[in-house]
Amino acid sequence: MSGDHHPSAWGPHDWRHGAPHNSWSPFILSLGVAIFLFTLAGAFKFGEFQGWGSVPLIFVGLGVIGFSLLVWWRQDMSFGVDGEVFEPKSAGAPFQNIDIRKVAMWMFLMSEMMVFTSLFSTYMRYRFGIPNCQTVFESGEWVEGTSVTCFEPAGHLIASSWFHIAPGAINTFALIISSFTIVQALRYAKKKDMDEDVRRRKVTRYLGTTWLLAILFLTLKMIEWFVGFPLPEFLHEFNHGDSSIKSLYAEGYLINADSYQHHAYDTHYIEAHPDDYSIPEDSALYAMMQAGTHPGGHMMANIQVSATTFYVTTGTHGAHVLGGIVGLTYMTLKAARGGYTPDNAVSIEYFGLYWHFVDLVWVLVFPFFYLY
Amino acid sequence: MPTRSWLQSWLCITEVKRLVTKRSKAAIFTLVIVAAMLALPSAQSLPGGISGVQQSGCNCHGAVPSESVSASIEGLPESYNYSEVYELTVSFQGGPSQEGNINQGGFHLWASEGALSVNDATAQVYNENEVGHTDAGNDQVSWSVTWTAPATDKNVDFVLHVNSVNGNADGAGGGTSGDMWNKVVITLGGPIEVLEAANPFVVLGVLIIVSASLLAITLAYVFYRKDPEAFEWDNFAPWLADWLTSTDHKKIGTLYFVAGLFFLGVGGIMAMIIRIQLAVPGNDFLTQEQYNQFFTLHGTTMIFLAAMPMINGFANWMIPLQLGAADLALPRINAMSFWLQPFAALLIFTGVFSGHGADTGWTGYAPYVVSEGAHYGTTMWAAGQIMLVASSTLTGINFLTTMAVMRAPGMGWMQMPLFSWSILVANVMLFLSIPAFGVGLIQVYLDRVVGTAFYDIAAGGDPLLWSHLFWYFGHPEVYVVIVPSFGIISEVIATSSRRSVFGYRSMVYALAGIGIVAFIVYGHHMFTSGMSPTLRFVTMLTTMLVAVPTGIKIFNWLMTMHGGSLVYRTHTLWALGFLVTFTLGGISGMFFPSIAMDTHLHESYFVVAHFHYVLVGGTVFGFFAGIYYWWPKATGKMLSEKLGVLHFLTAFVSYNALFWPMHRLGVWGMTRRHHTYFVTTEEALGSLPMEAAGWNMFITVSGFLFFFSNFIMVFNMIVSSVRGEDAPDDPWGGWSFEWMTTSPPPAHTLYRLDDGSWGLPTLKDANEHIANEPGLLSSWFQRLMVSDDEIEEASH
Repeated sequence: MSGDHHPSAWGPHDWRHGAPHNSWSPFILSLGVAIFLFTLAGAFKFGEFQGWGSVPLIFVGLGVIGFSLLVWWRQDMSFGVDGEVFEPKSAGAPFQNIDIRKVAMWMFLMSEMMVFTSLFSTYMRYRFGIPNCQTVFESGEWVEGTSVTCFEPAGHLIASSWFHIAPGAINTFALIISSFTIVQALRYAKKKDMDEDVRRRKVTRYLGTTWLLAILFLTLKMIEWFVGFPLPEFLHEFNHGDSSIKSLYAEGYLINADSYQHHAYDTHYIEAHPDDYSIPEDSALYAMMQAGTHPGGHMMANIQVSATTFYVTTGTHGAHVLGGIVGLTYMTLKAARGGYTPDNAVSIEYFGLYWHFVDLVWVLVFPFFYLY
Repeated sequence: MPTRSWLQSWLCITEVKRLVTKRSKAAIFTLVIVAAMLALPSAQSLPGGISGVQQSGCNCHGAVPSESVSASIEGLPESYNYSEVYELTVSFQGGPSQEGNINQGGFHLWASEGALSVNDATAQVYNENEVGHTDAGNDQVSWSVTWTAPATDKNVDFVLHVNSVNGNADGAGGGTSGDMWNKVVITLGGPIEVLEAANPFVVLGVLIIVSASLLAITLAYVFYRKDPEAFEWDNFAPWLADWLTSTDHKKIGTLYFVAGLFFLGVGGIMAMIIRIQLAVPGNDFLTQEQYNQFFTLHGTTMIFLAAMPMINGFANWMIPLQLGAADLALPRINAMSFWLQPFAALLIFTGVFSGHGADTGWTGYAPYVVSEGAHYGTTMWAAGQIMLVASSTLTGINFLTTMAVMRAPGMGWMQMPLFSWSILVANVMLFLSIPAFGVGLIQVYLDRVVGTAFYDIAAGGDPLLWSHLFWYFGHPEVYVVIVPSFGIISEVIATSSRRSVFGYRSMVYALAGIGIVAFIVYGHHMFTSGMSPTLRFVTMLTTMLVAVPTGIKIFNWLMTMHGGSLVYRTHTLWALGFLVTFTLGGISGMFFPSIAMDTHLHESYFVVAHFHYVLVGGTVFGFFAGIYYWWPKATGKMLSEKLGVLHFLTAFVSYNALFWPMHRLGVWGMTRRHHTYFVTTEEALGSLPMEAAGWNMFITVSGFLFFFSNFIMVFNMIVSSVRGEDAPDDPWGGWSFEWMTTSPPPAHTLYRLDDGSWGLPTLKDANEHIANEPGLLSSWFQRLMVSDDEIEEASH
């Protein structure tokens, strides 16, 4: 603890002095992550709930992580307090005069790209390596009562009706708009010839809008996954006559679905509702049905891998949105206190880079998992 | 019972030694007197029994025992079973006793352990371990008693005294005169499997706890030495807190080193336990289950908890110094990268402490890794490695940013020291490959915890997907751990040769070439997995390509020495040793791209020999060179050259003796990851020739020598810290920026500039003056960049 310009490992720093500073945050954050991973594995084993014993500890872990983030932010609070900002610039080629932290953010996004590349590789391996459920169904090579392993894209369910796809579609626009609002926040924060109070309100409003859109995104996702929503009566006829849109959970599209059934894979239903679902006339199953020798009514499918890739990929993206929400909460509060001036507006830009990336990933996730 | 008798004889030897070395004759004399007094007649023999008998003797019916009387106990086993009941028959022959006399004899039996009891009225119990005859039993020469063996392993002594009586109970002839007595002592051992085999996990746990305690004591001692006056908790707590919270690259570098060396020791202990198991064929020191956990954790520990932290230790210390920067670009992120590692290590080892450590191999192949058959510790093994992946990603961001933006003014890419270059290349590789591993681990963790079905075969999961994700990371990873050693060796050889490195540009391109080729060769780990023959062929060619940049580096090092004049310092010796062993490892590596060879040698000890030759002979030797090279800079103290040379000689010789015979074993067909092997004179599938047993013992002995020889370095470090001589700023005559600051450098690094002042340097302060023209690629890239200053000006 030599020197007098890093008085506390908990409190605000005067960053103009540069490194080294002391911080408890890394130590506590690591501890929190370890507790979380350890206790989560204590609560569930192979998808089976092991009792409530370690559930409180999961929240302890999350609490420790949250606490360490608060420490982290508290140390940053002094940023630009005296109107002076410690924002080191790059010295050497090729990034001369670029902010160091901006370079770091780009580096971070590089590794994030690899994360999603790996997830998409997994998806493609299974999507193209496992026979599609529709193909298997139409081939007629299945027996009622035994489960076939096949790939059932979530898009098959979701894209089957305009209402089912609505949450995803709204989400897409929500994210794209939020990418616009974060840029607006940066624009006003950077504007020099502007009244302090007007700037404060504008930046807060735009950051707040971004925050709300992110919350909307996750809410709609939860509705789509777990809740579902009812439809007004005049729309029932456009929804196969159903009065509501069922959640993916209610549809049985689950990671442990080893005997998944859906009326699209039910010959009786197809015979009864020829307008809703039809099978191509040149398919083997069609010929069987004509001849009355088809293998049975329901085809049961093991779709665990399909559900796994869907939930984990979109879930990883959702986790990134959640991370953005945590960051935006801090930024909005800081903006409301007038924390952003043209001098330190760049930190909105760093967040914006991340947020655009999350938006961009969704633009890939949406067609791959919702439309196709 | 080899363990037991070994232990016993050892105890015996120390006992004798203790007595012999005890010079005090008076004590021995006293002992003799006491023994003599104990042996003095002290018992009266009466018809009712023999009293006052001691183990040391009894006069009973005469001053001296009579040889004509022989006592015996029948019914004793050679070694007893726990708590079993034995029927003993005590009898004697000879002496004046005659058939038909009223009084014929008596006995007294004493057992040091267990319980004695009697069966009839001819004998009586004095206490639990003492029985004798009764009045009624006075007319017999044999008695029957019962002995219950003890429940634990003990050595039992039986002392039997017998009287042979001439029958003159009336007192004629002097009462007991004419009677004769004798005694017999019988010692009995416990069952054969008396000592339970030591549980290797207990051994490991104890050793880890002992090393951790030593670490804590060292910590306290280091603090004590700082200021003996201020050695109290009120001062210690803030000192410790400073280490836990510091974001200073030098302190974090030191922490990385402490962690890295600690786990190098832990991994070494595990290797030694593995070698004990393999020392002789058919050994059962480790069960198969335990062996699986040991080799898994040995691999994981050595790669992720020993090699990687030590690389980060070197990089943390030296990169800012070599670039002429004040610190890394993101100091707090740097602290974050470090602190993730100890907690990750805790998670990885939780399985061990519960006896259910990961048993999947460090590669953790699916589908076993997600099966319920795999030990439960596998979940924590995956969780810990997820944290390590996060740590490596943050490290990558930090170092790439630092090297991209914080080089001293004037230092272009092509003026960066080769060690910095090697860290740059290593981090690019790590950074681009490790997310795939991280995603794979998250998939495994989710499969094992949440119950997703990424690698569930029944649901259509593909185990090869894991292999692809793993080896896409895994192959660059092995280059990540060797490339920094290339950098260290380049620095050491250039400095020791007293010249700049030969072919600097080709060295940089070779490093970059390795970095690129690393991503297109990983298929050679999967030759036997049934991948497409076309891909196998492509991978074979690309793998052979690796030899080109590596060869360029080797020849450049040789040319550097050829053109220079070599100083044989300890670090130079290690660098030369590296050249030999790494080249050998590289040559054995060239067997594997060939598909036919690979299929034959796959999963054999040849593979073990190869990767230990590159990972120990390459990476670790490079680390040793780096430690001897930079220790004076980091601590300000010189290491002992004598101890260093001794360390090199013993370690280099024992290292080669340890790993070279493994090639032979591999060609003979000894498989890796099997907990035992068998030798036979016949040519049978899956068996090894008789010589293999001898070679394995040789390897084990060499392994222990290598293990212990490295403690010479630890000792050297301690001696240097305690009373090493102060190091000058530039002890070896190095040229890069780190030698321009003091030893050790202050917290805020300051360099001695050309004009004699102190500050942050520019390239012109370095001894080499090269114009900083951005190269073709760099200037093209720079044109794409709009500097933040320009944006700001435009917005005004």
